[in-house]
Amino acid sequence: MNLIIGGAYQGKLDFAKSAYDYQPEDIFTCSGGEIDFSTGCIDHVEEFVLACVKEEKDPIAYFKAHKDKWQDSTLICQDIFCGVVPLGAEMRAWRQNTGLLCQYLSNEASRVSRIFCGLEQRLK
Amino acid sequence: MILFITGGAKTGKSSLAQDLAVALSGGGTHYYVATMVPSDEEDLQRIRRHRDDRAGMGFETIECGKQILSCLDHVDKTGSFLLDSATALLLNELFPDPTSCQMDVDAAYRCGDELVAFAKSVANIVIVSDYIYSDAERYDEVTETYRRCLAAIDRKLAAASDTVLEISSGNIYVHKGALPV
Repeated sequence: MNLIIGGAYQGKLDFAKSAYDYQPEDIFTCSGGEIDFSTGCIDHVEEFVLACVKEEKDPIAYFKAHKDKWQDSTLICQDIFCGVVPLGAEMRAWRQNTGLLCQYLSNEASRVSRIFCGLEQRLK
Repeated sequence: MILFITGGAKTGKSSLAQDLAVALSGGGTHYYVATMVPSDEEDLQRIRRHRDDRAGMGFETIECGKQILSCLDHVDKTGSFLLDSATALLLNELFPDPTSCQMDVDAAYRCGDELVAFAKSVANIVIVSDYIYSDAERYDEVTETYRRCLAAIDRKLAAASDTVLEISSGNIYVHKGALPV
């Protein structure tokens, strides 16, 4: 599995498309608490985490339960955990859970890339 | 050479940028392109602080808050330039009327292309921007548009640059190219 992290609008998806040759139909964009792992590239994992927070689900447990389905995938997650601690409890839980999930996924990944202004910084 | 520097607030970007712009000039002409249009006392204090910081470094200051290519007519292009910052320039271009939140998104994207054109037409330039992309916050549409436009400018500049640096607490991480010797 390849993990791509980076700030908003840094070119994470563009990098995934060029590095791993994904076509539009290969990309699943998270918007709720379920992920379709049949596509090769899962974008906006942080939105999945936010849905989990709202539904009181554990995102790491979800990934562990579907572990066999994402071994050859590329997962893209915005690094929303580098800014100020948000005042709202839900946003705080979102930030923490996204950070923890990225630690777990980083450990599982064969390649971890941070995208900075469109450039890859290879972390693993 | 085009050198792009970004990072969080108060990490040392501006002072590093000043040192690099002076070094790149090799003792020749070096310009400070000031892009911030002050709107209150806090801005004026900030400008005074930056001026004090670079006092005695021999910079010639050019004030240009909009349409950055317009100031090329009056400069020696073989000199070295410090443009601080893309962030302030975008603010002036995206919000043409500082008293309203009315946005000119076309101007924001044109501003990115003009910055690249500016950078390519001078001998040496150091451009400073701000990294504002890693918050866990749902911003309003105006703030989000500003972030999206600045990121587009950053990516254009990073692609056109010989060297891309990220500054973190005064430490330098080289994302592309190398530091000039």
